Amino acid sequence: MAGAATPQETRTHCPYCSLQCGMTLTGSGRGGRDLEVQPWAEFPVNEGALCRKGWTAGGLRGSRDRLTTPLLRDRGTGELRAASWDEALDLVAERLTGLREQHGPDSIGVFGGGGLTNEKAYQLGKLARVAIGTSQIDYNGRWCMSSAASAATRTFGIDRGLPFPLADVEEADVVVLVGSNLAETMPPAARHLDRLRERGGRVVVVDPRRTPTAAHADVLVQPVPGGDLALALGVLHLLLAGGHVDTAYVEERTRGWDVVADSVAGWWPERVERVSGVAVAEQQALVGLLAGAGRVVVLTARGAEQHAQGSDTVLAWINVALALGMPGRPHAGYGCLTGQGNGQGGREHGQKADQLPGYRMIDDPGARAHVARVWGVDPDSLPGRGRSAYEMLDALGSTTGPRALLVMGSNIVVSAPRATHVAERLAALDLLVVCDLVLSETAALADVVLPVTQWAEETGTMTNLEGRVVLRRQAVPAPEGVRSDLDVMAGLARRLGSPVDFATDPEEVFDELGRASAGGVADYSGITYARIEAEHGVFWPCPVTGDGQPVHPGTPRLFAERFATPDGRAHFHAVDHRGPAEAPDADYPLHLTTGRVLAQYQSGAQTRRIAALPDPGPFVEMHPQLAARLGVADRMLVEVGTRRGTLRAPARVVDTIRPDTVFVPFHWLGVNRLTNDALDPASRMPEFKVCAARVAAA
Amino acid sequence: MSRERLVVVGHGMAATRLVEQLVAGGYAGHVTVLGDEAVPAYNRILLSAVLEGTHVDSAITLRRPEWYAERGIDLRLGSRVLAIDRGHRDVMLVDGTVVPFDRLVLATGSLPTLPPVRGLVTAEGRLHPAVHAFRSLADCRRLLDAVPDARRAVVVGGGLLGLQVARALSVRGVATEVVEGAEHLLSRQVGAGAGAVLARSLRRLGTTVYTGARAVRLVEPTSGEGVTGVRLDNGAVLDTDLVVLTAGGRPATSLARAAGLAVRRGVVVDDHLTSPTDPTVHAIGDCAEHRGVTTGFVPPAWDQAGVLARRLCGHDVEHTGSRGVARLRATGLDVAVLGDPVGAEGEVVEVTNPVVGKHSRLVVRDGVVVAAALVGDLSRVGLITQHYDRGTVLGPHEPGQLLLPEQGAAAPTADALPDDVEVCACAGVSAGRLRACADLQQAREQTRATTGCGSCAATCAQLVGTAAADPTCEVVRTK
Repeated sequence: MAGAATPQETRTHCPYCSLQCGMTLTGSGRGGRDLEVQPWAEFPVNEGALCRKGWTAGGLRGSRDRLTTPLLRDRGTGELRAASWDEALDLVAERLTGLREQHGPDSIGVFGGGGLTNEKAYQLGKLARVAIGTSQIDYNGRWCMSSAASAATRTFGIDRGLPFPLADVEEADVVVLVGSNLAETMPPAARHLDRLRERGGRVVVVDPRRTPTAAHADVLVQPVPGGDLALALGVLHLLLAGGHVDTAYVEERTRGWDVVADSVAGWWPERVERVSGVAVAEQQALVGLLAGAGRVVVLTARGAEQHAQGSDTVLAWINVALALGMPGRPHAGYGCLTGQGNGQGGREHGQKADQLPGYRMIDDPGARAHVARVWGVDPDSLPGRGRSAYEMLDALGSTTGPRALLVMGSNIVVSAPRATHVAERLAALDLLVVCDLVLSETAALADVVLPVTQWAEETGTMTNLEGRVVLRRQAVPAPEGVRSDLDVMAGLARRLGSPVDFATDPEEVFDELGRASAGGVADYSGITYARIEAEHGVFWPCPVTGDGQPVHPGTPRLFAERFATPDGRAHFHAVDHRGPAEAPDADYPLHLTTGRVLAQYQSGAQTRRIAALPDPGPFVEMHPQLAARLGVADRMLVEVGTRRGTLRAPARVVDTIRPDTVFVPFHWLGVNRLTNDALDPASRMPEFKVCAARVAAA
Repeated sequence: MSRERLVVVGHGMAATRLVEQLVAGGYAGHVTVLGDEAVPAYNRILLSAVLEGTHVDSAITLRRPEWYAERGIDLRLGSRVLAIDRGHRDVMLVDGTVVPFDRLVLATGSLPTLPPVRGLVTAEGRLHPAVHAFRSLADCRRLLDAVPDARRAVVVGGGLLGLQVARALSVRGVATEVVEGAEHLLSRQVGAGAGAVLARSLRRLGTTVYTGARAVRLVEPTSGEGVTGVRLDNGAVLDTDLVVLTAGGRPATSLARAAGLAVRRGVVVDDHLTSPTDPTVHAIGDCAEHRGVTTGFVPPAWDQAGVLARRLCGHDVEHTGSRGVARLRATGLDVAVLGDPVGAEGEVVEVTNPVVGKHSRLVVRDGVVVAAALVGDLSRVGLITQHYDRGTVLGPHEPGQLLLPEQGAAAPTADALPDDVEVCACAGVSAGRLRACADLQQAREQTRATTGCGSCAATCAQLVGTAAADPTCEVVRTK
């Protein structure tokens, strides 16, 4: 570990998005107070490139915004006051024990995050199910890529965001990005697109906005928000009509094609045009590009997925990839560009309401038996399936819902849909406990706030968007008074009378996670910290092998021989366009969509506190035609209203957005008061990406 | 209680949609579908695409028989209904089979109208061998079979279907002529200006157009070439190998009429899609007359199917009419018709340029686009249709802007960028800081510009080592 006297370079990864760019950290000054970021050119995903979020990631080190002592809400004043760790943990344990005795274990909810390391995500699931005994655990990743996860599991039998290393796209002929603005959300990834284009490949961007990603594209298709599914149905219709379906592949490697083929006969181009807003000629051009390409990669992201029909939208685009015969071929196929730093690993190890470690389903008796054996508990003691993220929040403080909530790695009041309602539910709790490094908007509402380490101050693994497990090594000591989430969980487990111990050493937890995942879909049992460091990460599945046998190499590429379904085939699913839950009408005539900007990350709890990153606050992006209609000029204050709330912010008048749509970035408190909590029936994903809105000069 | 027996007469677009929506809505009754064609339901509006060759014919099947069987639906193909007996509550098929019902849906579609042309029908009551209707997949296949031996074709009817068929035959290499009785093409949908632009575009594509001309009889070909001649009311004779009739259809109402149901032009239904004569009988699609209107288009038929399905699944919903969007589907001809651009009341915003074959007309009432005709330029059709369907209230300049090509503000050239404009978004580097760098290498090391997504590399290369922008230079900022 780095000493204070001799600065030492530590190879690690960026604290933010799912690209998990390699970077080199050097601590300097007393206690490693200052943290310098340098490139790590050898790491293959980003090859030394970073965006400004990564370059400035050390900015919270030594910041006055860091929490360094537990805080308790004083009953007399209603204010937060400093407390010792023992006082805080004792209080939490006492209150939770009381609730558990009086109302049962499901009166306690646990809310995790897609930014937590694999070790923490695993331990959080174990904490909930073993130490607390509650079924009520879910996490904000439900709002991230759950629609893609649901679709990929149903089609391929496995949910790994990319079934191949990201750099594979450089060798594709055509890459179709549906609802991804990767040039802003994960900028170094765009370099792979540019290399593809230098080779003569083509990039298609499907987005209601002409985003900076479109600058890396050859074709831009701008459907109306919520139109991606209809567009996919139309693309498949035209591929079928033109005889471009790879019938040999469909015959050998898939099932369910006939029903899908018939179902798209009703999605002829002119109908798709009317529903999606994409002109027939543009559909034909897109299909012409796909039909003539040997290797096509279809990638979806939140723009396509965060809808009440998000999982069906993903299925529809997967159907396109399958009809073209792509998944399983080199440099071709379907993938999801995961969002959060550990959006992939965070969904594999048990912080999801319906899952146990290794991507096992909690209602599978075999899975329960295996995991219970690793944990040293009776399988029957494990609770069943709990509520999904939004449904749990919606139930907080109700007669049947949790009365206490433990939050780790999430800033709920900024990031949840219909946030006013969610804040009301949080207020109805008996006890809100938040672990964070800063006093986030959610922490500020808590009864107990526990200060925890940030990425450079702890060790743990992350699984990036490719399914590559990477290691973040501790680079500098934790500030005094700050503990890791693993310490917090161990301390709580002990106080709650857990039947088993909770390790605090990350590597020890990782080894246990490996055993728990062994034999599961996401098998990490053959992965070690040493191998990760030696191999620039290891791709799961990577099962442990017996003594004397060579180690499993990991699995950079899936599906070459068979899919992970019981019959080894990819399964087509017939889907239909239902449209957004809330269509524009006379009162709310516009579409509202949300997204990110380059210099901020997610709820902004970290990035808004980093001085080197511009923090303009939310803005309302609109087309000049709409601005003229509303009598609004650039930078003028406007009010956006939906059926759930209003927001005042300056207008940003740009001709890059559809005139019937406004866009607001979601990194700030208040934006999600506007968004719709309609949920996807399969993934329980809220409809962040489209609702009906009105805008007027404020 | 026994399950309701629902019998659907017809197996076209409307019937298929109804059954799909009944399945989706969890309809509890037992459904029987009686289709007179021998093939499973197909997307009829794509027949001209099959003719043209843009669609393989297997791609237009809507649902194959297994789909019905798996859902417990009794689909009977090749089952022509002879009569409906409302007293006995059953229908009789031509083969004598009797199918009882508790509830009946008529989705019998329309029949092609035979224009009054002497000689179309032979003495034996068959169509002249060179004459083709174009309504069913069988018609389409028969015409396709005839195409390889045909050099010339005459399409009777200059409506949407006629133009689609004419283009399809033309694309297939058949020299095609269109005969339209009205004074201009698409006379039911668009005005004379649009029709003239369209005729000009068609001629440019090699298709001859005769408007204000009626075919009156089939005669011997005058040139000796071709199978027959089509004599027009102006005396001209068009020699041809094929005659295709596309001059419209009429609702198929004979079963309903014989069963004593209220029939005017179509089978009369109310806002519940129910016959005023019999509350257990419904009609949807081309055969139905709702609020005095029969349509002949798919979108209203599907709207009706959706409403009826929801009603049969227990929801109290009504059909109050549909917004129509008609699109011509033919390579080289771009036409969209929203609503009734000729008859709708409102202010007209129009752009016409016959030289380039473009005519666009918006009818605007209180800021809302209530109808539109777009010919020759569909670059904005997606947005215009959204505005039309949603009834968006537009600003005074917007209708005009919608008819002009989009004008993006040109990005400023590198040397015109003010110093404070951000050039590298990934690293947050302004033009001024880049200018202060001697070269790209220095910029990379000192500012990290170009090291993120890489898209600013070209601009950065132009900026390093240059002087600041001329401050008098006007700049359109894109950020």
